[in-house]
Amino acid sequence: MKKLFVLIMGLLMLPMVARAENPAIDFVNRVTDDIINNVLTADVSKEEKLSRFRAEFTKALDLKNIGQFVLGIYWRKATPTEKDEFLKAFTDLTTKSWADRFDSYQGQKIVFTGVRNAERNQFYVDSTIQNNPPVEVTWRLKQKDNTYRIIDIIVEGVPMAMSYRNEYSAFLQSHGGSIRALTEELKNKSDNFKWSEKKE
Amino acid sequence: MRKEIIVLGLLFGLILSGCAVKPTDPDELVIYEQNNDPLEPMNRAVYKFNQGAYDYVLKPAVRGYRKAVPNVVQTGIANFMANLKQPVYMINALLQGDFKATGDIAGRFALNSVFGLAGIFDLATREEIPVIKRDFGQTLAVWGIKNSGPYLMIPILGPTTVRDGIGVGVDTFADPVDWILYRQSKWLAYGRAGANGFLQFENKYDLLEDMEKNSTDSYATMRSMYQQNCQKEIGELRGEVQEVQAAYDYDFPDDEEDE
Repeated sequence: MKKLFVLIMGLLMLPMVARAENPAIDFVNRVTDDIINNVLTADVSKEEKLSRFRAEFTKALDLKNIGQFVLGIYWRKATPTEKDEFLKAFTDLTTKSWADRFDSYQGQKIVFTGVRNAERNQFYVDSTIQNNPPVEVTWRLKQKDNTYRIIDIIVEGVPMAMSYRNEYSAFLQSHGGSIRALTEELKNKSDNFKWSEKKE
Repeated sequence: MRKEIIVLGLLFGLILSGCAVKPTDPDELVIYEQNNDPLEPMNRAVYKFNQGAYDYVLKPAVRGYRKAVPNVVQTGIANFMANLKQPVYMINALLQGDFKATGDIAGRFALNSVFGLAGIFDLATREEIPVIKRDFGQTLAVWGIKNSGPYLMIPILGPTTVRDGIGVGVDTFADPVDWILYRQSKWLAYGRAGANGFLQFENKYDLLEDMEKNSTDSYATMRSMYQQNCQKEIGELRGEVQEVQAAYDYDFPDDEEDE
């Protein structure tokens, strides 16, 4: 019954999607707008940009949830201290990685093409970045108490959370499952982060 | 000397490494099976060799190409080469029984070849004819060969699977454009293959750089991305729209996320 309700609601929402009145789309739209206007195109120093990006990014993404997911089977085996330290290092590196990726922004428009419901208060917001060639990006959201957080970014069908999970499980397998070693490696990557040169 | 060592290492890798050891831990076994990479030790050796070739040869070549050739010309070259691939895409779309795609590809090829100066200008995209790529690996998948076979890392060419590797072979052999070029001179056909390979690498350059910079295990990241992307493409061909959703689920209780 609940599924039927969700389905009907989904169908009812379809016409609204085009007018971008869906709250999930609004949320992603606001996040990307904020990042573009307050960070990417703002005339401030590189350090200020990074700290602003970090504020927006950590607010919009549920990095604790993501960090938990990406450790997969190893999360259960970790001690509370290991979890905290991993999450901190993961947040640091992920923020830099995405700040760097967003930094290649050159005014492309983001068009929202639809929203799909998933189970457990989750939504997929589909969008196209009008690049040449265009890039399909799906934002996976989780709703809680009327607020949304991003739990995954799916670029051209590749869920980032899944990529991280596979990457980390490979690293952990070759390092005897040591979360400490992974955390050290993430810190190391983050401390020595090489920023991409801006094109043109 | 360095190169000899790499080649020697590669050969040793091929001979000695063989198959990966199956883990006994049930959780790790699940990951092992998802990875679909029983030849991992050999694949990793090839990957290491490829990285050397990329760093010392292909990447500098891409940087030079991007610096020397104006953007408009780069787009023209990419369009021209992409246009020549349309006939083999069309054959595959037909073999897959997808008449809509066959029509779109035929329309794109005709429009760009005739009015786009042999494909240099991509008028079809302006006319909103979708870009469709259909290779023989997909055709095999559509025909019901569901198992892609193990993941394979090929020297220079990079990631593939047994099924897609066979697909690439068949596509190369069946490509009508290659037949025509080959009758003129075999070097034309080789030259085309080389140019396509280079452009494909150029296209992946930024992604490779991103991976090497951000990943703690770039081999695993590449494998994961390759497999997710294939899953998506083949899911779409089979009309499985929800495949992203079904592909994974956050498998912990909701309340665990609260402190």
